[in-house]
Order: sequence, then C-alpha cells, then structure tokens
Amino acid sequence: MKKAISMAMAAALALSAGATTVPVMADDVTELTIWSPTDTEAIEAWWEEKLAEWNKENPDIQVKREAIDRSDSYAYDNKIATAQTSNDLPDIFYVDGPQVSYYAANGLTVPLDDYFTEEDQKDFVDSAITQNTYDSHLYAIGATESSVAFYYNKDYLKECGVDVEDLDSRTIDNPITWSELAEIAEKCTTEDYVGTHIIMDHGEGLPYALEPMYLSAGKDYISEDGTEADGYVNSEEAVKTTSFLADLIAKGYANVEPIKDEFLNGACATMIGGSWDTAVLEESAEFDWGVTYYPVNDDTKEAVSPCGDWAAAVSKDCENPEAAGKFLQWLMNTDNVASYAAAIAKPATRISAYDTEEMAEYKEGVRAVFKEQLENTAVPRPRTPSYATFSSAYAEAMTNIFSDASSNEEVDEDYIQSELDTAAETFTDDYETYYAE
Amino acid sequence: MAKTKKLTGRKRDERITAYMFVAPAVILLIAFLVVPMIYTVYFSGFKYQIMRPDAIKFIGLENYQKLFSDKNFWIALKNTVYFTVLVVPIQCALALGLALLVSKKFRGVSIFRTMYFSPQLTSMVVIAVLWSVLYNANPNTGLINSLLVSLGMEPIKFLSDADTAMNSIIFMSAWQGAGYQMMIFLAGLQGIPKDQYEAAAVDGATKFKQFLYITLPGLKGTIKYVVMITMIQAMKLFTQPYIMTQGGPKNSTKTLVYYIYTQGFQKGNFGYACSIAAVFFVIVVTLSMAMKKVTAATD
Amino acid sequence: MTKSMKFSAKFGKFMFYFGNIVIGIIFVSPLIWMISASLKPEAKIFADMDSLATFLPIQASLDNYAEVFSRLNMPQVFKNTLLYIGLILIFDLLVNSMCGYALAKFDFKGKGAIMNLVIALMVLPMEAIMLPLYIEMSQLGWVNTLPALVVPFIAKCFSIYMFRQFFCDVPDELIEAAAIDGSSPAGTFFKIVVPISKTVYATVFILDFVAHWNDFMWPFLVMTGEDKRTIQLAVQSFFGTQPVHYSAIMAALVVSAIPMIIMFIFMQKYYVEGIASSGIKG
Repeated sequence: MKKAISMAMAAALALSAGATTVPVMADDVTELTIWSPTDTEAIEAWWEEKLAEWNKENPDIQVKREAIDRSDSYAYDNKIATAQTSNDLPDIFYVDGPQVSYYAANGLTVPLDDYFTEEDQKDFVDSAITQNTYDSHLYAIGATESSVAFYYNKDYLKECGVDVEDLDSRTIDNPITWSELAEIAEKCTTEDYVGTHIIMDHGEGLPYALEPMYLSAGKDYISEDGTEADGYVNSEEAVKTTSFLADLIAKGYANVEPIKDEFLNGACATMIGGSWDTAVLEESAEFDWGVTYYPVNDDTKEAVSPCGDWAAAVSKDCENPEAAGKFLQWLMNTDNVASYAAAIAKPATRISAYDTEEMAEYKEGVRAVFKEQLENTAVPRPRTPSYATFSSAYAEAMTNIFSDASSNEEVDEDYIQSELDTAAETFTDDYETYYAE
Repeated sequence: MAKTKKLTGRKRDERITAYMFVAPAVILLIAFLVVPMIYTVYFSGFKYQIMRPDAIKFIGLENYQKLFSDKNFWIALKNTVYFTVLVVPIQCALALGLALLVSKKFRGVSIFRTMYFSPQLTSMVVIAVLWSVLYNANPNTGLINSLLVSLGMEPIKFLSDADTAMNSIIFMSAWQGAGYQMMIFLAGLQGIPKDQYEAAAVDGATKFKQFLYITLPGLKGTIKYVVMITMIQAMKLFTQPYIMTQGGPKNSTKTLVYYIYTQGFQKGNFGYACSIAAVFFVIVVTLSMAMKKVTAATD
Repeated sequence: MTKSMKFSAKFGKFMFYFGNIVIGIIFVSPLIWMISASLKPEAKIFADMDSLATFLPIQASLDNYAEVFSRLNMPQVFKNTLLYIGLILIFDLLVNSMCGYALAKFDFKGKGAIMNLVIALMVLPMEAIMLPLYIEMSQLGWVNTLPALVVPFIAKCFSIYMFRQFFCDVPDELIEAAAIDGSSPAGTFFKIVVPISKTVYATVFILDFVAHWNDFMWPFLVMTGEDKRTIQLAVQSFFGTQPVHYSAIMAALVVSAIPMIIMFIFMQKYYVEGIASSGIKG
C-alpha cells in the first residue's frame, strides 16, 4: 500500500515536473555523470568535443558532464556537502586541491591508486600528486596547476630608480628576498602608486599565496601529518613573518583593500600575483612588465612556491568506480592534459605535456617561470581534513591583523600573536571534535 | 427569530470559508517551514559534521553550553542588534520620504518610481561590488575618498576599519532597501481618501500639518507593517557582510545569520549551527511577539 | 501678487523636479555603473574609480554582450526562470491573499494561533533551514525537478501579512452589503474584494517577483544541468570562471535586469487604477 502511494506520488510528480524521461539502459552500459564548475567558452567546448570522442569510442561507458554554476568556491562546496547528505553525488566531481583531504577523510571520495600506477604518477609534477594524496592514497587527479610569483611594472620601477635588469636576471637559484621586496615597495610608494600588492580576498587566496613565505621562514601553518596547528601557525617564526607583512600595510606600501586589477590599472608598482594574471596582462597592460620568482626568506634563502588547482575525484555514490577510473585514465592522458591546459591557460600537471606544441609558450619567458617553480619549488597546502576550517580562520586572523596595522599605522606583535593563537585554536577544536584518533 | 437563524447560518458559512481559505497556506507553511525548523532544533542536539551523516552522535545540550560561552556568538548577536536598531528608523524614514515624493501623479512619475526602486532591480552582487570600490580606503582607487581628499578631509577606511565597517554597511543597506518599503508605502498612500486632503486644504492646513494629521494616521497600519518587515529583514542580515567584509574586520560585521551559515556550511559544524539557529529563532520570535503586543496596545 | 504666486508655483515645480532628479540619479547610479561597465573592456572597469568618469562608458563596445549570448542559451534561461517564478506567483497571490483575507475579515477558532505562526515564521532565515529543506526535497524525490523550485515557496508569511494588513482596511459595510445581496463569503471575496485590491496584488507581485528573480542559493542546490539553469545561476556562472571578468558579468546582469525593469514599469498601471478605486475604499 505504502509503495503504491509512493509510486503514485512519484508518477504525479514526474507529470507535474515535466521531468525528463529517463531512458531505459541496457545492463551492460554504464552511465557516468561528472560535475565541474562552469568554465570559459574554450573549456566548455573542450568538454563537449572530448566527451563526444569518448562516448563514440566507448559505447559501454557513456559519460555526461554537468556544468555547475558556482558563484564562488564556497558555493560549490556547499552543493557537494548538501548533495552527499542524500546520496545525490555524481560519479565524478571536481575538487579544489586543498579540499581533497577533507572529502577523502570523510569518505566522500574513493582512492584512485588502481588506475594511476606509480609509473603514471611519475609523469605528474610532484606537487600535484602530493596535494591529491591523503593517508598515502591518491584521491584525485587534475590536469592543471597554478603558481604565484612577483610581478613588477618595469616602466615605473625604472622611474623610481630600481635596478630592473637585476630583477630580470634572477634565476630560481637566486630569487629576490622579502626584504628586497620591501625595499622596492618603499622606493615605489608615491602619491599615485602603492609599492606592492598582497592578495586580499578575505578567503582562500590569503593562505594559498602566503604559505611559501611561512615555509621559507621554517614553519608551515600545520604539522606535516596534518594534526597540529598550535606551535605552527602561531609559532615565533610565523608571528615574525606575519609582522613583516603587516608592516608593509602599516607603512602604506600595500593597500589594505586593493581593488581588483590594481596592478593592471597602474595603481601599484609590483604584486605577488598568480599564473592566471599573465593572460590578462598580456592582453591589456599599457606598460612593460616582468615576472620573477617567488621571494625567499632573508635568513634561510629557501625557495618555495604555491601550487594547487582543481582535480577530478570519484565519489562514494559511484556504482561503477572501475569505469570511472578507466575514463579518468583516458581524460588525464598527455594529449588531453595538454589541450585542456592550453584551453584554460594554466600550467599543465603532466611533465610530458610540456613537450607538446600546445604548451610551447611555457618554454621561455613569463610562463617558464611558473613551470620552473612547479617543477622545483612548489609545495602543496597542508593536507588535513580540517583545512577548510583552518583556511577561513587564518584568513579572518590576517584580515584583522591587516586592518589593525592599517588603522594604527604600526604593527602590534601581541595582537598578531593573539589572532594567530585563535586561528590555531579554531583548527584544533575542529580537528579534535571530528578527526582525532 | 428568522433573522438570528439567518445570521448563524452565515456565521457557519464564514467559518467554513475561513478554514478553506487558510488551509492551503497553513499546510504549505507547516510542510516547508515548520518541518525543516523542527529538523533544525532536532539536529541541534547532535554532534554532526555535515559530511558525515553516518557518524552523527547525540550530545544533549552540549551545543547550547558551548554556544553560551562562545564569544563569537555574543559578538554576532550584538552586531545584529546594532544593525537593526540603526537601520530600521533610517530606512523606513527614507522610504516614506521617497513614497511621498512620488505618490501623486505627475509627468514622469513612473520614471522616478523606477529610479528609486532600481537598487532592488539590480542584483545585490553589483551593489556590493560597486560599493566596495566606492568605499575603497585608498583615495587613488575609491571615489568617496577621492572626493573627501579633494575637499581637504582625511580619507576614511570605510570597510577596513572595525569602527566604521558596520556603519558603512548600514548606510548602504538603507539606501539599497528603501525602494522596497517605498513600494509598500505607496500602496498604503493610495488607501488614504483624497477628499480628506481637499477638505484640509480648504481649511488652510499647511502641507506639513496635512502630513501630520492625515497622512501619518492614515498610514498607521502600513507603518506598523513596514517597521516590522524591515526589522525582520534586518535581523536576517547576511549578503552584505558575506560579500563585502566576510564578517570582519575584527568581527565587526559578523551577524547571527552569517555566523550560522559559516559554521554550518563552511566549517561543517552542522549540529552547532543548528543550535545557533534555534537560539536566533527564539530571540527573534520573542522580539516580534513583543512588538506585536506593543503595536496592539497603541491601537 | 498673482505673478509672484505663479512664479513661486513654477519655482516650486522646478525644485520638485530638480530634487527628484538628483535623488533619482543617486539611486540609479549602480544601474548606470553596471551598464557603463558592461560596455567597457575588462581593463577599464576599475581604472577610473577615483573620478566620476567611472560612470561613463569609455571605449564602448558590445563585445561583452556577444560573449554573454554565445556562452549562455538566454532564451532557454529566461523560459526556465519565467516558468518557475510564474508558477510560484500564481499560487502565491491566490493562496496568500485567501489566507490574509480570512485573517482580516473572518472570526474562527485558531485565528490567533495562525496569526502568531505567520509572524513567527516570518523571521526564519532561509540560510538556517536550507539543508533540512533539501533533505525533505530529496525524500520526496523532488531534487532536480520543478516542484522543488516552486512548492516550498508558494506560502509566504510576508505576503500573508501584507494581504491581511490591506484587507483590514476594506470597509465591513461593503462586505455586509454583498452578503445581504446573497453573495457567499467566498463569492464576496473573489467578486468584490479582489477587484478593488489591485494595488496590493500589484505590490506583492512586484516584491515577490523581484525576490525570486534574485534567487541563487536554492536553485543552485536543488537544480543541476544547463537545461535547467535559472537566471541567477547563469549570471553567477561568470563568477566561477577564473579569472573573473567583471565586464562579462555586468553585461549578463544588465541582460538579466531588463525583464524586471519592463515588468516594473508595466505593473505601475495598477497603481494608477488604485488611485481611481480609492473612493470606494474610503
């Protein structure tokens, strides 16, 4: 009886909804659905072309992609979180790098080790594999990477008497130091320009872009095993590093609220900017500019750079993970990685992809800087299931610290310590509540 | 005798009609608001990480204990109250002023109405993006500060200073939201008979006196409604801090709903978020009931 | 004397228009900024933020609009959005006005309780009940179907309360007279009260239309797939593509605002009729 009612209800609903009819599939055909964020036209076209190609060659595994119209990455994660409560996850979904551990630790995704052997993994840059590995299993695989470096406005720096040729000639073994950056920023701060630009998105951009600075100073945000933040993000080294940044703001060398495209619009002389900024600058900058390697700590001189991008994971709700794995093997082959990376204008994860024609522009110039960093100095963000909590706590602490420095025009180390303590506490609280033991 | 019978018949008709009239709305409200609300209260008794519905664990009132000693909860409550107390009178007065400007028919009236309502027609995203840059702290990149500096004043760090951030959001919200309340006032103003004004004008009453003795009393019900919905919407403040300040700086724009959202979704503390939601709900219901009592007493 | 009066009347009229225009410009500035930004190349949008020139479309072109229309299937998006909002509004106006009328004009057991329920539920923030509501939709099997977008949003406390507030002002004598003429209580409502209440229907229509037009989070959670995309999902999809191009976003927003502006101007007709019918109300 109950069943009859629910069936009648379902029928009524299907009618009222005008729901698309589900075609009856033969038993030997597996249908896979992929979720990934809606992207540029080039990428949307890439998906269409590639899936048509796959579906034609593999009549037994038919793949369909749904473009998810996220407003920001939080919204996308909300959709995943909501869908999993009712087992509505698709077979494959894309995840941003640092979220991989969160989903893996909570059992939302399944390991991919069987589909990507160690041999396969060797062709990927280390950072991409490390970021997507949790508890020694590979949980996601991506085609693209990201990096951050130091951009400078050559025309303006020359005016200010900065040795631009020296900047141009730096190599990955001889990058600028943070105090050199501060000197340049000081020289270039005038009535019309601020010296430099720090990503100030109040969100993931902050921990992402700044982590290498902490690493270079000797301590990461979180312990290597991903369990402790106390003694790391609030360590003496971290406070010192943070003070240095806050000092740039306090002295007015960087804006506390930079506008979007501050560098492009000629409002700041230099910036710590992403690999994604290159394309826009090439297209629209009205001045000569250059890029050099991510700065290093003055004492340790250790070169570190940010990395991480979206990657594909197979969900717990996937009924045929083997088919999904087979599909991902194909999706992440050298040719596909190269054409995807070229279409999205991001550096590729596969080393062999750089030999293809599509990736030719990474051989020299600006893009070579990012490629070199990815191959040599990139370190992924902490791999811990509490990363999302940490990320927002850290971003909040930094926003407060910068606001304080900007209002008082001086740096208060005690305040920095207390804010970073709070961030560490927030992490510990979350980790211990849900993941300890 | 016959008359009484007829009346009771009508009364019965009315009663049946009344139940038929309220039933659809009440059923829908219960199904899609009360039921989720009960769920919320239910989940507030659990330790519930959003990603792990299987590991859900009953912990009684622990979430509430945590809540009352949570500094951030009290800050969020204080900010919510502060915002509400300031934005309600400002926004309602502004809305009434706008409604009076465009209540009469004159050439172009519909253009002006559309203009005043237009911040509502534009997405909040545009408004937040635009005002973030208008409010920008640097006079080289922020319009308002560049005007201040050219007038010889010091630039203000509108959104990046804990002392001014909430006030900046209040000002923007009142401006953005006033068009909505203006519409309701306009509808209310149509209900005031014109002949009252004509009679008053014949008696030589000034415009101001007409406003005081005809318009305001005539709008009594509308004013109550507008104040109430403005208050309720203000208590739910979320989008502006979410887009413009992320609750900062120094927690100065963290509101209760923002806190519920970040705890529940961003940080995945779903059980805890539910307990905040439940307390929030109790506070606001008490407040609106009290308000209903107060307004009923003034009738 | 008459000359100076004429002058002062003219001057007053001038000041009235002048004031309206100044205030109007302040209110309409984001719209202007949005339109002007939608015509600019990306690099120019934030370039003049320190001067009023930011409101002018410098280097104007329609490239951004071309991008919007080539990336999104706009007719489909409008169809999806108008369909679901249309369905909500039809039921919304009917169900909520009936409930508001009953609360305003009938005496019945439980009236006070329902009134309290309506007021109490008004304060429920969507953000707090989103997940339980989703779970409910999933249990009903409604995820990714039209009912999930429509059914939960038909009954609205704000609308019920607003209708009640306005029906309270409808004179009892009018209803009494209809009853004496032999009209049933329901008949009185539909044949007599509804036709003279166009103003409140128009108001609720506009306010709810605008609110749903701006819906993002809920359609985002329950609907998946390009063929089901609603207007805000379409607009927001531009935010998700890195790097974020504000030029294309602004063009998409302008396109999305056009139907609302048209609807708003059109609905005002009913305000004018509201004035004409106010004689009955007094």
